[in-house]
Amino acid sequence: MAPGSQRQTELLRGVLDLCLLAVMDEGPAYGYEMTKRLRERGLSAVGEGSIYPLLGRLEREGFVETYRAASKGGPPRKYYRPSSAGRIALALGVSEWRAARVAIDAVLDGVKVEVAS
Amino acid sequence: MSEFVEQCRREWRRLGVPDPLADEMAADLASDLEDAEAEGVSIEEYLGSSAPDPRSLASSWASERGIVATPHGTAGSRRPRALVAFTALAAIVVMVAALLLATGEPKVTLTAARRTPPHLPVPSVHPTVPVGIGHQVQAAAAAPVEWILLVLALGALGFAAWLWSRWHRSRPSLALPKT
Repeated sequence: MAPGSQRQTELLRGVLDLCLLAVMDEGPAYGYEMTKRLRERGLSAVGEGSIYPLLGRLEREGFVETYRAASKGGPPRKYYRPSSAGRIALALGVSEWRAARVAIDAVLDGVKVEVAS
Repeated sequence: MSEFVEQCRREWRRLGVPDPLADEMAADLASDLEDAEAEGVSIEEYLGSSAPDPRSLASSWASERGIVATPHGTAGSRRPRALVAFTALAAIVVMVAALLLATGEPKVTLTAARRTPPHLPVPSVHPTVPVGIGHQVQAAAAAPVEWILLVLALGALGFAAWLWSRWHRSRPSLALPKT
């Protein structure tokens, strides 16, 4: 069985694209900003694998639009925001995630967790 | 520019990533790493398992963007080609065997050649089988090649189907639905 941190990484891997689309849907963001937004919500394992290849894939598949703009006092950054296709994919992905979560909860809710002290 | 970004640049150069795109990715990465460092986040924390392997990060980033061929593309496409050939061959053999069985002519049989001394009578290799009163048909003692081919080819097709399903499962799935 996978250790806790490894399982968290694997779980996140399956939905990280949705999470990225969700945080950039709150407002255009560049790479580091997105990881900050995710970390603020407790997703600290984002670094395991890095977001850059995933952002590249989202861009290639037309799920995000990009543009360059000056950041606060820094060099111009590449900002990402969901395209219309990305918003549709996000909505579909969220409904899939919720359906999966309900089904998994139905299985796991019956498990009594006892932590030995 | 940090050593990490420099190593990424070297990998992109090796992979043939056009300079403007490599410059863009390197600048984005360098800026993000600087931001992270300014906020007290180390490269290891920010990049996680990618931190010790800049070449892998650079390669997967470029391939996911579609700038270079996927690193697994060669192996991934070689197997389907071999599988396609194998499946096609098995299907052709099935069709040929089925056609031969359907037409019935020419009937090919596996006959065991046996040397018989000239002074001894040659035993019949086609024993007679009684069918009803007053009727007899000759049955071939050897197995017909068409049936053997058909069975083998069907087995090969089944094996090919299993290989296809394994290959399909091993492919990375897209997390987002196509729209």
